[in-house]
Amino acid sequence: MPSETITREQAVTMLDIQDLSVVIHRPGRQVAALSNVSFSVAPGEVVGLVGESGGGKSMVARAIVGMLPSGSHATGRVGFDGADVLRMDAADLARHRGSGAAICFQNPRGALSPTRTVGRQLIDRLVTHQDMKGDRAAETAKELFAAVGIRNPARRLEAYPHELSGGMAQRVMISLATGCAPGLLIADEPTTGLDVTLTREILRQFRHAADTDGRGVLLISHDLASIAEVCDRVVVLYAGTVVESGPAAKVLREPAHPYTRALLRSVPDVGGGRVVATAGGMPLMTAAPHDCPFAPRCAHATDDCRSTRPETTMLDGDWSLACFHPQETPLAEAIAADLTTAATEPGDVVLKIEDAHVVYRSRFGSGGHHALRGVSLELRAGETLGVVGESGCGKSTLAKLIMGLVEPSEGSVEVAGKGVRKQSRAERTRAQMVFQDPIGSLSPRRTVGDSIAEPLRAAKVPAKERAQRVEAALGRMELDPSILTRLPHELSGGQAQRIGIARALVGRPDLIVFDEPTSALDVTVQAQILDVIADVASDAGHGSVFISHDLATVRGFADRVVVLYLGRVVEEGPVDEVFDRPKHPYTRALLGSAPRLGETRTADVQLVKDLDEADAATGCALAARCPFVTDTCRSQEQTLQPYGETRAACWRVPELTALIEKS
Amino acid sequence: MAAIEMAPVVSSNRDGRFAKVLIYVGSGILVVAALAALLAPLLTRWGPTEIDPSGTLAAPGGEHLLGTDGNGMDVWSRVLHAARLDLGIAVLAVALAVVVGTLLGLLAGYLGGWVDDVLMRIVDIFQAFPTFILALAVSALLGGGFFNLVVTIAAVNAPAYARLVRAEVRTLREMQYIDAAKTSGASTIGIMWRHLLPNSLTPVRVIAPLNCGWAMLTLAGLSFLGLGVTVPTAEWGSMISLGTSDVVAGRWWTSVPPGLALLVCVLGFSLLGEGLQERADAKRR
Repeated sequence: MPSETITREQAVTMLDIQDLSVVIHRPGRQVAALSNVSFSVAPGEVVGLVGESGGGKSMVARAIVGMLPSGSHATGRVGFDGADVLRMDAADLARHRGSGAAICFQNPRGALSPTRTVGRQLIDRLVTHQDMKGDRAAETAKELFAAVGIRNPARRLEAYPHELSGGMAQRVMISLATGCAPGLLIADEPTTGLDVTLTREILRQFRHAADTDGRGVLLISHDLASIAEVCDRVVVLYAGTVVESGPAAKVLREPAHPYTRALLRSVPDVGGGRVVATAGGMPLMTAAPHDCPFAPRCAHATDDCRSTRPETTMLDGDWSLACFHPQETPLAEAIAADLTTAATEPGDVVLKIEDAHVVYRSRFGSGGHHALRGVSLELRAGETLGVVGESGCGKSTLAKLIMGLVEPSEGSVEVAGKGVRKQSRAERTRAQMVFQDPIGSLSPRRTVGDSIAEPLRAAKVPAKERAQRVEAALGRMELDPSILTRLPHELSGGQAQRIGIARALVGRPDLIVFDEPTSALDVTVQAQILDVIADVASDAGHGSVFISHDLATVRGFADRVVVLYLGRVVEEGPVDEVFDRPKHPYTRALLGSAPRLGETRTADVQLVKDLDEADAATGCALAARCPFVTDTCRSQEQTLQPYGETRAACWRVPELTALIEKS
Repeated sequence: MAAIEMAPVVSSNRDGRFAKVLIYVGSGILVVAALAALLAPLLTRWGPTEIDPSGTLAAPGGEHLLGTDGNGMDVWSRVLHAARLDLGIAVLAVALAVVVGTLLGLLAGYLGGWVDDVLMRIVDIFQAFPTFILALAVSALLGGGFFNLVVTIAAVNAPAYARLVRAEVRTLREMQYIDAAKTSGASTIGIMWRHLLPNSLTPVRVIAPLNCGWAMLTLAGLSFLGLGVTVPTAEWGSMISLGTSDVVAGRWWTSVPPGLALLVCVLGFSLLGEGLQERADAKRR
């Protein structure tokens, strides 16, 4: 290690974790949550802590703020500005949590008190921790809100948490955390559940906190791609051990540890690269490992890996690694993906939606939420249609509409040539759905076998044939028949989603709707499930609708794509055409904010406001957020117009390229 | 290397061990009570309504383990035989209340609309009266006797189950697995029976044993006021009622033993219910 690195670290390191191990004792079991973890964070630095759930990321965060769960046994040192957090008494800890390290929790709405306005909660903090007087605190609160990009802060201070959107609530959390001027800001999965445009916005806030206020930031995430851009350094955790750490550019572009590589390969890329799944799951450690915990899943593992735990070695600079077999081939070459997907002949029309509107009437009064406004679609057997858009754009409503779970207030929906609301019970099983929450979509007190067989029961298939077909579907999901007698809570997320797909397949439907099927799963599991879905979606027998806010996964296997915005189709066309040559400014903005690994991206269109602030009564729905808006846009709505193979609904498509170049 | 220990897990009831103790003790008491009721003829040589011509109001000891009451009937025998009636009515009444209440709750919660409105207004009418006053009214209407008492006590308890299950169903029906069942072509009855019913019963399982205790008290209360069983029949409430005047004269044995029996049984139900509640909480963590 070069000597200057040592002096730099000794001089300015704020957080310095040395050899931290945490074992949690619970009656009847013991979990080694962390084993010999060491890393540091300096002021002004953004460090990403990545890995799958169960890897110990949150435990590190808890150790830093001195909130280890009851029954834990910690060894090592959590140095913070020279003091050891593990040895602080209650008074020191309280001070440390207020001004030393502050956490932004994963679920911002849950972390805000629901009965008090967010302004009140922020001001209270300022008064207690910063000894501010009421007026000054209110003034500072306004400034803090403005600093995290909340427009109209004075009004938002009066809002209750339930009145805020997810992104807005996360901003409030950040302002609460930064309000006490902490040295270190810890964000535990700050962007889970947010869509691409918001994720980007929120992450930028953390970068901003590090750059302008000189705070250290520890970003905890399972989503490598999204944090890649803002991090200076990255620490990769696996089963409670640090397997690789170093400068973000190095670790994310030329990862040396097979686990880091597996993580990166699991992430779909919006550029069209295919994911490569790594089999298996993370082990639950009961004691500090004496071998390499990743060995059972690793393609390069040798006997050494299975008998000795690799030491952490320095590669160069502060890039360190715990592996006997560092990999050197650049990742991009190693996964030179074969993009040759056999084109299937389109079959019969399986889904036909004509000018469908859905209005959710509010229970009281006359108002209502217009979730879909005139959507028309057609899908043939063998085809896969991707549906993308921000949250709140009507994606889920579209899924429900197709499944007959909501009724169109205008227009019509036909599945396999039959109007959705006129179906018999057996006909209703012609369209099947794979849900977002894999465990929540299985009835908790019904066995797996029972759940899979449900569509067959509705179609009055005799019991004997039912059992055979359930087993066949299970085989296709590569699951053992012994799983049939289990209950949903005994399944892992990945297993549960395979069961969900098996249930969708078992009745040989004409149409399968995948509603964000992987967003609740860990990255490597996500890759495994995407593999399965890609296989299922390529069947010629049925059409597939794949709904996701993650553009990259859609690109992976859709033939055509539809971009939804506030209940309208703003662009549709062949997937490569739409992704490579987007026509609509909204599509351009979406694609621009999608994370790309190892690239600094340039969004050529930046939307000017958040979705929940844009309400358009007349004219183009995007008018309030579009940088290229004209008077025509504000007064008149454009319909879908053909441009080559795609269709887009925007007045300014012909001039758009020129406009973007100018700006 | 210095090791830092965090405080051990706070209290033992967090891991469900406490719950187990409660459940064992509660059901232990109830099993003993049930055995005593079933084996009553073997535990005493007097019949419950058999009059000993040799003496009334005899003190405990000798011929009569717990003495005799004002009619010369053996108190020990009566206490044992009364358990059959008290436990039987309480358990059957609660079972009936659970069945009826759950059914109404399921229908109201899942179907909603006018079905919900009509059923819940009926429930409201029942719940508008204090439980015991309602029980008094119903039993005055129906009269005493085993079957009528079961119906009376079930009627005053069923509305609570209807509300409980309805509330549960209203949250459950928004769950993804209900959507999943719908898209799998399940019928409305299928969804209610196969998916909503098994998942909405958790709170019912916890409340029902507690409710058995209350039911026994209601029954004893009715009998105390003379609205329950007719006089020579052995029943704790009526025994207490008959014995109250004796207490003043220092003859405690006619009313204290049935009172204690009632207390112990209610305690058994309470402990069992409490234990089930604790276990449900421990599972949720």
